[in-house]
Amino acid sequence: MDELLYFLQQTINGLTIGSTYALIAIGYTMVYGIIGMINFAHGEIYMIGTYIAFIVITGLAMMGIDNTLFLIVAALLVSMIVASAHGFAVERVAYRPVRGSKRLIALISAIGMSIFLQNYMRLAQGSRDKAIPNLLPGGWEFGGEGFVVNLSYMQVIIFVVTLLSMGALALFISRSRLGRACRACSQDRGMANLLGINTDLVISMTFVIGAALAAVAGLLLGMYYGVVNPYIGFLAGLKAFTAAVLGGIGSIPGAMLGGLILGIAEALTGGYLSSEYKDVVAFGLLILILLFRPWGILGKPEVEKI
Amino acid sequence: MKNTIRKSFLVLAVGAGMSSLTAQADITIGLAGPVTGPLAQYGDMQFTGAEMAIERINEQGGVNGEQLKGVKYDDACDPKQAVAVANQIVNDGVQFVVGHLCSSATQPASDIYAEEGILLITAASTSPAITEAGYETVFRTIGLDSMQGPVAGQYVAEQAKPENMAIIHDKQQYGEGIASGVRDTVEEAGVNVVLFEGITAGDKDFSSLISKLKRENVDFVYYGGYHPELGLLLRQSRELGFDAQFMGPEGVGNPDISKIAGEASEGLLVTLPQAFETDPDNADLVKAFESKNQDPSGPFVMPAYTAVYLMAEGMKETESTDPYEVADYLHENTFDTPIGEVKYDEKGDLEEFNFVVYNWHADGTKTEAK
Repeated sequence: MDELLYFLQQTINGLTIGSTYALIAIGYTMVYGIIGMINFAHGEIYMIGTYIAFIVITGLAMMGIDNTLFLIVAALLVSMIVASAHGFAVERVAYRPVRGSKRLIALISAIGMSIFLQNYMRLAQGSRDKAIPNLLPGGWEFGGEGFVVNLSYMQVIIFVVTLLSMGALALFISRSRLGRACRACSQDRGMANLLGINTDLVISMTFVIGAALAAVAGLLLGMYYGVVNPYIGFLAGLKAFTAAVLGGIGSIPGAMLGGLILGIAEALTGGYLSSEYKDVVAFGLLILILLFRPWGILGKPEVEKI
Repeated sequence: MKNTIRKSFLVLAVGAGMSSLTAQADITIGLAGPVTGPLAQYGDMQFTGAEMAIERINEQGGVNGEQLKGVKYDDACDPKQAVAVANQIVNDGVQFVVGHLCSSATQPASDIYAEEGILLITAASTSPAITEAGYETVFRTIGLDSMQGPVAGQYVAEQAKPENMAIIHDKQQYGEGIASGVRDTVEEAGVNVVLFEGITAGDKDFSSLISKLKRENVDFVYYGGYHPELGLLLRQSRELGFDAQFMGPEGVGNPDISKIAGEASEGLLVTLPQAFETDPDNADLVKAFESKNQDPSGPFVMPAYTAVYLMAEGMKETESTDPYEVADYLHENTFDTPIGEVKYDEKGDLEEFNFVVYNWHADGTKTEAK
C-alpha cells in the first residue's frame, strides 16, 4: 500500500514537471511545424515571462493589493502580452530577414537572439535570484500511516491550466480560420501564399501564441518554485525541446505527450534510482526514440507537420 | 661584436623601461571572483573586505611608498571563465591576486598563477585539492572542507543525533567534497546514513527527491552546496509536508536563502567561520565597515581583508614586490590578523581555523547553536 502511494506521489510530481515542459514545448513544435526551424530563443521568452509575472505581482503587492486571484490574473495577462510582444519582435528582427536563406543561418540567428535576451534581462534585473513568497500555499493530504501523499494546490493548478491551454490551442488550430491558415502553411507555405493566405501574418501569430503559452508556463513555474534568475531559460528550453522531439516535433498532442513522459521518467528515476541519473534517463530515452522512431512518438515522417 | 652591442642596448632599454614602470605604477592587486552570476553576493563579500584593506593600507601611507590598487576580475564562479580571467591577469602584469571564490574556479586558475609566479591568496575556496598541488605561492585565509566537515559531522552525531540521516550534494567540487567529509565523520560516529545522493546545480524541482526522503523517514538532511538549491529544497520540503532538520556549509549562509525559502529557513543549521566581527579586537575595523554602510558579517569579508593585509605585510617586510620573496616570508612567520593568529603550513593552509555551528533565522540573521 505504501509502495503504491509512493508511486502515486512520484507520478504526481512527474505530471507537474511534465505539464510545464509541455507548455514550453508547444512553442518549439509550432514554429518547427510551420517554418521548419528551431527557435532556440524560446526558453528565454519563458524566462522573460517569469520576470514580468514577478514584477507585476511584487508591484501590485507593494501598492497594497492582496487579492490573490486578482494578482494572478493581472500577472498572467501582463506577462502574456509582454512575452508575446517579445516573441513577435524576435521573429521580425532575427528570423524574417534570414528566412529565405539556409537553415543554419536561422539557427545561428536564434542562438544569438537567445544570448542577447539572456544578457538583456541580466542587465535589466541583475543576475541574482529573485524570490517571491508562495501565493497559494497548502494542499491536500491523503494516504496511509506509512506514507502520506501530498498534492499541493499549485500542482493541481499547473496540471489543469496546462490541459485547458492545450485544449484551447487544439480547438483554435482545428476550428478557427486562422488555425486553418496555420495548417495550410505547415503543409505547403508557397502554395498557401499563392492562394491568398497572408503567410507572414500566420508565422507571426505562431510566434505570438508560442510566447503567450511560454508566459503561462513562466507564471505557473515562477509561483511554484518562487525564484527566477536570467539563466532559467536555458535548462527549461533544453528540456522542453527534448519533450517536443520525443513527442514528435511539429505535433501539438505530441508535445503534450512528450512533456508528460519526460516529466514522469525524471520523477520516477529520481524516486527509485537516484537524482543523479535523472538526466541520464531523460536523454537516454530521447536517444532510444530517435534511433527507432526518428519522427517521434506522435509525429508523422515528413508528411504532415501539424 | 656588433651583435653583442645591440643586445646589451636592448637589455638596457628593457631594464630602463621596467624600472620606470615600477617607479610610477601602483602595486596592483587583482581581485578575482564572481561579479555576476548566481553567486555574486559571495563575491561582494570578498570585494568589500579586500577593498577596505586596500583603502586602509593606502591611508597609512601604502606599501614601501607606493599605493595599492585593487582591480576586479569577474569569473562568475565558472571554471572556464576563471581560466580566461587568470590569463588576463597574467597579461595585465598583475603579480598579486586575492581570489577566486568558488573552489572549482580557483583550482584551474591556481595552476596558471603558480606557473607564472603570481602570489594567490584565496579568501573563500575551501576545497583541500587546491593546496594539494603544493604550489609555493598559493595560500588561503579560510579553513578547509576537511576542517568544516568534521565540525558539522560532530554536531550531528553529538547534538542532533538523527535516526535516519540523508546527505545531499550538488556534484561540484565544493559541495561533494564537504558532503563526503560529513559522511565520513558521522558514519564513524555510528549515525545511520540512509541516502547519499547528488542533484544537479541549477535544477529547480526537487519534489521527487523530497518524496524519497519522506519515504525513508529521514529526520536530518545535510546539504553540501550553495544557497540557490538549498533554498528551493527547503521551500519545497515545507510545501510537501517534509519537516526534517536541514544543515549546510558556509556556502548556504547568506541572507538570500531566507528570501528564497522564507519561513522554511528558520532553524536551518549552518557551519560558518567564527564570527570575526564580534571579536573585540576588530571593533575598530567593524566601525570602519559600518561607517561605509557595509556589512562586515559575511563569512568572507574578514578573510579577504586579511589576504590583502598579509600581502602588504609581506611586501613591507621584504621591501620587495617579488611574489616568491613575499611567499617565503608568509611561510616563515606568524601574523596577528583580524581572523586571529595566522600561521601557514608548507602547503599554504592555515594551521588553525575555527568553524562554528549557527542557527539561521528567517530574517537572515544567525545565532550560535548550543
